[in-house]
Amino acid sequence: MKHHDTITGLALLVLCAIAYWLTTGFSEVPALLSQNVPPTFFPRLVLSIVATLSVVLVAAGISREPEKTGRPSATFWRTVVIIASTGILASILGTLLTLGIVAVALPIAWGERRYSFIGILAVCLPISIYLIFTLGLNVHFPAGQIVGLLLEN
Amino acid sequence: MNLSLEYALPVLTDPVVIGLIVAGTVMGVVIGALPGLSSSMGVALLLPFSLYLEPIPAIALLSALYCAGTFGGSITAILINAPGAPPAVATAFDGYPMATKGEAGRALGIAAVSSVSGGILSVLVLLFAAPLLAQVAYSFGPPEYFALGVFALSMLASISGEAPLKNLIGGCLGLLIATVGIDLTTGVERFTFGVPELYEGIQFIPVLIGLFAVTELLNQAQELGRERIAVAVSALKLPSLDDFRRVKNTILRSSGIGIFVGVLPAEGSTMAAMIGYNEAKRWSKNPDAFGKGTIEGVAGPEAANNAATGGAMVPTLALGIPGSATAAVILGGLQVQGLRPGPYLFEEQPGLLYGIFFAMLLANVLFLFIGLLGAKVFSRISLIPRTFLWPTVFALCFVGAYGLNQSMVDVWIMIISGLVGFVLKKNGFGPAPIIMGVVLGGLVETSLAQSMIIFDQQWTGFFSRPITLSFFALAVISLLGGKIRSVFSRLLSRTSRTA
Repeated sequence: MKHHDTITGLALLVLCAIAYWLTTGFSEVPALLSQNVPPTFFPRLVLSIVATLSVVLVAAGISREPEKTGRPSATFWRTVVIIASTGILASILGTLLTLGIVAVALPIAWGERRYSFIGILAVCLPISIYLIFTLGLNVHFPAGQIVGLLLEN
Repeated sequence: MNLSLEYALPVLTDPVVIGLIVAGTVMGVVIGALPGLSSSMGVALLLPFSLYLEPIPAIALLSALYCAGTFGGSITAILINAPGAPPAVATAFDGYPMATKGEAGRALGIAAVSSVSGGILSVLVLLFAAPLLAQVAYSFGPPEYFALGVFALSMLASISGEAPLKNLIGGCLGLLIATVGIDLTTGVERFTFGVPELYEGIQFIPVLIGLFAVTELLNQAQELGRERIAVAVSALKLPSLDDFRRVKNTILRSSGIGIFVGVLPAEGSTMAAMIGYNEAKRWSKNPDAFGKGTIEGVAGPEAANNAATGGAMVPTLALGIPGSATAAVILGGLQVQGLRPGPYLFEEQPGLLYGIFFAMLLANVLFLFIGLLGAKVFSRISLIPRTFLWPTVFALCFVGAYGLNQSMVDVWIMIISGLVGFVLKKNGFGPAPIIMGVVLGGLVETSLAQSMIIFDQQWTGFFSRPITLSFFALAVISLLGGKIRSVFSRLLSRTSRTA
């Protein structure tokens, strides 16, 4: 089993290689326009520094004992799913409804069982956000595809 | 000085102006405390309304919000490890560990007093030394900015603790994130993957919210089954005499740093806070306590970030060059008001300038009281059970990330940053160096490109300028600081044994 730093360093080297490969796809510009400082110059400079430091990290990790790490809990994975799904849900159901759903789903996923409090949060949170941000600060949230369809009909 | 008072007194005795300064201070603390809502956004939102006011009350309102917003960000940084604004990032390093140890009130008190001290000192110094400081900043060219950026990045080796190498890598990853978007010199797309929303680059605020708040939310999710470290909230405490003695030198030093960094064009409170934190650690008798909850770690960045607000107004008013993002919005406000910021403003409108300076001074005094009272109310946030607090925090993160550009891409950037931040954190990479890299990215790249053009592609050109050379020397010292210290201590111990 390798030390974490070795694996992290190797992962960073792979990342650097991919990022460097991406820089080869940048559009070519005449030297006159770029004034001899092409758009690849700075990213490649930074990537070379990261790669050098990553090699040092790999080398440092090899000489160290491997560490034991715990696996993420089921609650953690449930939280990841809830958070990641907000972006998708917001475009379908609208931001305010999505945040209401998060206000229900996240406490339940974290083991909360006081459903009356969860209900209050699920109602009050989107309303507060609407009052403060939409009415107060003029921030307009996406209504979502479903609300859009309903409005069209 | 008589001239200054002659112009300032009508401002200080005008009830409308005082009322607006109070309103600006309260709004600043509230906006600054909400994750994702920075003082820049608050000032930008308030700007259209300020146009209905006379220039002095309008700019006084915006200036008060700017000052108070910088402090407001520290409240949530300390209580929930979610800096309300970028300048409060460094405050979270020690403020949050203090809160987890049951010292939230003490941390907030230190933050308030340090912020006020830094703010007042900066305004007082600037009243008398503004022209001189502005001249120093004006003499900086691209090579000096590049060297300053390198120096700032080199100091990552000494922040948030145990892994200098990983901090440096994190800083470089931040620089890489900052390269996303269209290259301003050539118009070439870089790392945009054809997504139009990325043409203008990855926004700083969503990355900041993701790396700090969402990462912490995931961290909390993983810690749920384990013993809970409660953020105990006692009554908010003003620093004791002992505490004040302990941090007074840190406050003075960080205020000086804040003023200096703030006065540099384009540099703002965030960099001042980072340097203030690093220097507090460097000068501390107990640097190992940093990152674990020490009052110097709160006082350093707080004094520096508020001192930078005063400093940032100098190039904005005297040279017409914004000293920070918020100052740029205020600069726009001045122009819309029909005023011409620049050297002539000092000669033509001394009343306006001194009016602004005194408005900022008053705002700093006011938020000592409003900030303390407000912080006490805000401290109740950590009494809410985690199962209710974090969904609310996540909703604020969502709104904060979205509100900046009203774009869902920013929300995705926040979510992805949070997930990546969590993985990095588990592998020993702190979020602060990445944020530092993102903040400095644009400046470092632009100034490097401009310098290379100036020097006709000759790297040696950097070594022909004394200020640049000094910053590089400081960077080397910063990188090798630990080694130099250990060599010195070994030499000293050998000498003492021989004696």
